[in-house]
Amino acid sequence: MSTMMKIENLHAKIGDKEILRGIDLELLKGKVHAVMGPNGAGKSTLSKTIVGHPDVEVTEGKILYKGKNIVDMEPEERALEGIFMSFQHPVEIPGVNNAYFLRTALNAKRKHQGLKPLNAAEFLKLLKAKIKELGMKEEMIQRSLNEGFSGGEKKLNEILQMEILEPDFVILDEIDSGLDIDALKKVSEAINNMRDENRTFMIITHYRKILDYIEPDYVHVLKNGKVLKTGGLEIVDALEKEGYKIFGEE
Amino acid sequence: MKVLDLQLDQFKEKKALVQKLKSMGLPTPKTEHYRYFGIRPIFDRDYELHKPRVVKIEEADHIEIVDGTITKAPKELYIEFQKSPRIDDSHYDQLYYITHLLSDQVANIEIDEDRELKIVQKFTQNGAFIPFRLRITIAPNTHVKIYEETLALAQDTLVVSGYDIDIAKDASLVMVQNRVTSIASFTHIASHAVNCQEQSRYDLYTFDFGNAKTLHNYHVMLADYAQTDHNHVIFGYEEAKLGNTFHIENRGKESKTSQISRNILKDKARGIFDGLLIVKNPAKYSAIYQDSKTILLNDGAYMISKPQMEIYTEYISEATHGSTTGHLDEEALFYLRQRGIAESLAKEMLVLSFLEEVFDKLGDEKVKEEFIKLYEERQ
Repeated sequence: MSTMMKIENLHAKIGDKEILRGIDLELLKGKVHAVMGPNGAGKSTLSKTIVGHPDVEVTEGKILYKGKNIVDMEPEERALEGIFMSFQHPVEIPGVNNAYFLRTALNAKRKHQGLKPLNAAEFLKLLKAKIKELGMKEEMIQRSLNEGFSGGEKKLNEILQMEILEPDFVILDEIDSGLDIDALKKVSEAINNMRDENRTFMIITHYRKILDYIEPDYVHVLKNGKVLKTGGLEIVDALEKEGYKIFGEE
Repeated sequence: MKVLDLQLDQFKEKKALVQKLKSMGLPTPKTEHYRYFGIRPIFDRDYELHKPRVVKIEEADHIEIVDGTITKAPKELYIEFQKSPRIDDSHYDQLYYITHLLSDQVANIEIDEDRELKIVQKFTQNGAFIPFRLRITIAPNTHVKIYEETLALAQDTLVVSGYDIDIAKDASLVMVQNRVTSIASFTHIASHAVNCQEQSRYDLYTFDFGNAKTLHNYHVMLADYAQTDHNHVIFGYEEAKLGNTFHIENRGKESKTSQISRNILKDKARGIFDGLLIVKNPAKYSAIYQDSKTILLNDGAYMISKPQMEIYTEYISEATHGSTTGHLDEEALFYLRQRGIAESLAKEMLVLSFLEEVFDKLGDEKVKEEFIKLYEERQ
């Protein structure tokens, strides 16, 4: 099994506060990795660090993605290399048409890959097929990006973007938050359909529920900015019984 | 000459104007609507007075005005030159009266059938002081759209101008003023007076793009059931000073005013939105709305935003105003970049989305494309 991303001794801070304190984590190609942890463990900061959020400053360590350290790369460069994050709270951007945004993003990626950009008609055909697959309302693509979308619609829109952009490394940051059971099933099904041997998923979650629908290959427990435990679903069972207190400091 | 070196007593045939000016006093840096525009260096400079002339007008599909002189116009348009046109005797801007004082003849364009009209204003004389005015009279039940384009080609020039517009009962005017100036030493101050009679409508779209100094002062008066809808976009860069000031008076019952201003400022540019909406006592059940929003693209840019309302009636159906100034939304910018969109394009998308409300309302792709071109050139 080959490595998609290897994080080595990663330290990062937001403002003056050090949040990641030496993360070591290996994420394998074609696998689903769940990252769990209590509030304040550093889960969201880890995802922000991987995608290059400007609030986060890496003070030490490496993030090797496909063998290349991406710590100094711009967020859009990382995205073009195939890193995608589904946001916990997707931003509403009034005035930016959803379809226009998606075509701009897709054509930026195609250009990066040396492919011809899709024209409006070609893109619309692709988009319509994807929204049909996802069971989304067609009018959502002509609305402003995420504006006035319900929580479920926003998450589905994130999945739509993922399907269109076909990333290699997907971070799902609390994709389950704010979803009712039907929406959770729909989102999970779409994610499962995207699973393949070349794509890696990192699911960040507080709760077990989503892992009932998307079965992870590995589970990592994060606490106080470090990975304390790596294993399989048995970790989730233990957490359900005992809570995070079972993973004291090393 | 210096602009304010006026020997008022020489204007013997315009006694009423002289009296009005004397009672108001000449504009100073402390005059409220000039407070943020910095008029002293503009008015202290020497210019060569360049008055418009009355020349043979060449036939064209649009009106062309070169340095204040009408040189071209559609054949069927009725243009009359008036020595003493009717004026607005309650304008708040002294330059309104100064331009009338200095205008020997004012072109009056009378429109009595529905039509679209393009007006191109060109300024070509370097170091000139160009005062002129235009009057537009729209007959009852007539619907007109005017697209005005200003081309500033002159260095160190000061233009003081303005429209006097009468919109008769049941008539309407949509006016689009597209003012792109890329000569930093060019200054344009305009004072407009717009009289909207019963049930008339005046929709104004202004687009001020560039690095020059322009200030437009609008006095709009609304009779019973009249309405005005103002939409303003400013994109200023370098050391531009671009602004609009207003006194919009709802004088008649159930009259309506709506005003939105969207401003993008870069470098050390300054934007001015100074709007006073007044609801007079007889204007019962009127509605007024005012909203100014600004994005500062960097720390040196600066916006003066003064939405104001004065309401002299107890019976009003709506009165809302607001103003915000800030930077681009960092989270929105990051979201777009995380999808692989380059930072410069992501910023452009956010800027355009900010202006979309106005562009969308106008429905004129040309103005939007002009903005995009200019914005991209400044990156």
